[in-house]
Amino acid sequence: MSLEGVQTVGSARRRTARTADGLPEGRVRRALGSRRIRDLGLKVTGVLTVLVALELCARLGVLSRDWFPPMTDTYVELAKLAFGHPLWTEIGRTLSGWALGIGLAALLAIPIGVLLGSNRTAYRLSRVVIEFCRPVPSVALIPLAVLVYGVGLEMKVFLIVFVTFWPILLQVIYGVQDVDPLVYDTARSYGLPPRARFFRITLPSAAPYIATGLRIASAIALVLAVTAELVVGAPGLGQSIVVAQSNANLPRMYALIIVTGLVGWALNTAFQAIERRLLRWHPSQRAEVAS
Amino acid sequence: MSAVTRAPRKGTGRRALGLLLELALPAALLIGYGLWSHRAQSFYFPPLGEILEYFGELWLFDRVGSDLVPSLLRMLAGYAVSVVLGVALGLLLGMSRLLRTAAEPVVEFLRALPAPALIPFALLMFGAGDGSKVFVIVLGALWPILLNTIDGVRGVDTQQLDMARSYRIPLAARIAHIILPGASPRIFAGMRTSLAIAIILMVVSEMVASSNGLGYFVLEQQRSFAIPEMWTGIILLGVLGYVLNWLFLRVERRVLAWHRGARGLSAETATPAPSTPSSTEKTDA
Amino acid sequence: MLEVANLRKVYGPDPHAAPAVADLTFTVADREFVCILGSSGCGKTTMLRCLSGLIPSTSGHISLRGKPVTGPPDDMAFVFQDYSRSLLPWMTVRRNVAFPLRYKGVDRREAEALTDEALDAVGLAGRGDRYPWQLSGGMQQRVAIARALAYRPSILLMDEPFASVDAQTRSGLEDLLLGVWERYGITVLFVTHDIDEAVYLADRVLVLRPPANVGHEVTVNLPRGRDQVETKAHPEFGRLRGELFAALDGGPVAA
Repeated sequence: MSLEGVQTVGSARRRTARTADGLPEGRVRRALGSRRIRDLGLKVTGVLTVLVALELCARLGVLSRDWFPPMTDTYVELAKLAFGHPLWTEIGRTLSGWALGIGLAALLAIPIGVLLGSNRTAYRLSRVVIEFCRPVPSVALIPLAVLVYGVGLEMKVFLIVFVTFWPILLQVIYGVQDVDPLVYDTARSYGLPPRARFFRITLPSAAPYIATGLRIASAIALVLAVTAELVVGAPGLGQSIVVAQSNANLPRMYALIIVTGLVGWALNTAFQAIERRLLRWHPSQRAEVAS
Repeated sequence: MSAVTRAPRKGTGRRALGLLLELALPAALLIGYGLWSHRAQSFYFPPLGEILEYFGELWLFDRVGSDLVPSLLRMLAGYAVSVVLGVALGLLLGMSRLLRTAAEPVVEFLRALPAPALIPFALLMFGAGDGSKVFVIVLGALWPILLNTIDGVRGVDTQQLDMARSYRIPLAARIAHIILPGASPRIFAGMRTSLAIAIILMVVSEMVASSNGLGYFVLEQQRSFAIPEMWTGIILLGVLGYVLNWLFLRVERRVLAWHRGARGLSAETATPAPSTPSSTEKTDA
Repeated sequence: MLEVANLRKVYGPDPHAAPAVADLTFTVADREFVCILGSSGCGKTTMLRCLSGLIPSTSGHISLRGKPVTGPPDDMAFVFQDYSRSLLPWMTVRRNVAFPLRYKGVDRREAEALTDEALDAVGLAGRGDRYPWQLSGGMQQRVAIARALAYRPSILLMDEPFASVDAQTRSGLEDLLLGVWERYGITVLFVTHDIDEAVYLADRVLVLRPPANVGHEVTVNLPRGRDQVETKAHPEFGRLRGELFAALDGGPVAA
């Protein structure tokens, strides 16, 4: 999605530019339609190339049989897993930690971010703490989390909350500080009460930033959930990968790795879609359409 | 961040007051923890003095060679490979629409795959040595650099490229003197994100099947209930993350001095470019 | 001599689509200063990009000094409208000017000399170590001109180069351009939408009408050694301006 997705703005500009050069609207649309089909073909080709290459490497012994079974075995295992309930249970375990974690982090980070974004003194008070906590490698806290919370869901949630709090907080601060002061002053001069100013102006303006923060947090949360499962054995996808590996069930291990990637991909895609929706009003988009 | 914190320059007294304000909360937190931990006698949260005592014993400089240096070397090796690979692939994919489109689903999948999930695979492929750790670091740290490089390359000013073509500047020189510098602000943004990821994955990879390194150290101390020792490792990792980030920012400031200058000066005359949240950060792990 | 015959440019794969440039024919003699005048959106930029070999034309013929133009020719330099986007912000002024020379096969010593001379010609001798963004808009465009001059082209293509500077700076840049044109003996093809600028600078003005073909041509018989006050007060200046205004506005003017 986002290889092209991030630049949709730029390509939109190129498209409009070309229409301005005198191409009739309909022809542009037709050209774009055929381009979309061609792109789809390219993408399918790209995926197939990688899969065939992996298969060949496995069959021809470029990658050792000992640790790389033919991909077809993995697909069979994947299909078997998909129809048995343990896989979905494991996904559920991983995702419940993920959801609780970013949910709590958002509940904490959004109000604090709004406060710090709109109050200069509060922001300066906390700046050093934020700057110091942000680059600290979160995973260093895994041992502490295990000590305090054991190896269950609580530990996972604690880790995720502690780590995803920062990116959400920072994006909320950016978002609130980015509210157009002119719009804000106008609202004030029309006598909009503070509550309405917050819900009508501050929050909608900051929404795209919050969405970005949540997208970043989602990816990090999944990494942490899988890490916690993998390293200390909390139940979930990460742990089942380790179990498959120690049982020397390699097709299952690879199938589970693929599933983990697909879960990550699905979450990413969903968050990107939300973000793009929320961004529609943003001046950057408007300016591009107008040019 | 800097745009917000730029304090009005009105005399040193005011600036000192500002500094005091900024340091108030950290100081309060430290003192608060000191008082609380002294009173509470919690097993998990030992007093600061005790942790510092152990810190001196362990890290000045007993375990520096056995744990800190191996960790740093793995991290730097993984990071270096990520930067080289990410920029090279990013150039290729950024310049060719065909390759970019074809590679998109595969890249999207690999970047969404949580890198720690590949640790078992890395152990099978490279054994329990440094190779598997570097591999895991690369598979996590590569993506922000790659994606930001692609974006940066695609965002290079078309007029600069036209200029270069009209002066018949060869492709290699166009890449070296126009495309790479033009993309460098984005490349650096990706590298900054990747630095944090590389440190995280260094720790994680050392927590699984390892016999030294900071990640190994922290987990081992916890498993043997050596709590103050564990804390020294956590603090060291925190300091390490902070210092590496600080070093990176200094390098970035130097290399991108022209960028800040050009943006800062043009911002006064032209309307400032709105920073789209989605394009300013690509922080996915 | 630059010769353009039946030039046609259509964007996209369909050759029967509405052309951006259609059936354009004109010639520019050596050392001539020709202005191309047209309102915005009449295909001026497309035409220049074809002439400079940056984009291929759909049909027609372009040749420079007898050689057909298929890619950017080695004795042509291009000055873009948006100076802030064609100068490289990570290079100093000197390096910006010298940059194309390295790949033209000019040795280091000579490149230095050419750079110095060009910067001197545009009055930026002391500013070589600055960065472009540390200079005003007018100075930045002078850097772009210096870069073109140092390249020692036989022909200079200019795409509304003074459109985004203020009026004061603009007349200064016009005089500077006339000065270097005379001094270097180059051919200039100058695109503008400003009638006064066209009359003031040119030997000949071609009026472009969409889709970019020459709707009208005017020879400017004002004496050289032009002066912002005297030339513009000349009765002939007023007459030419009126004629061009009418030509731009629509119907053919009986000349």
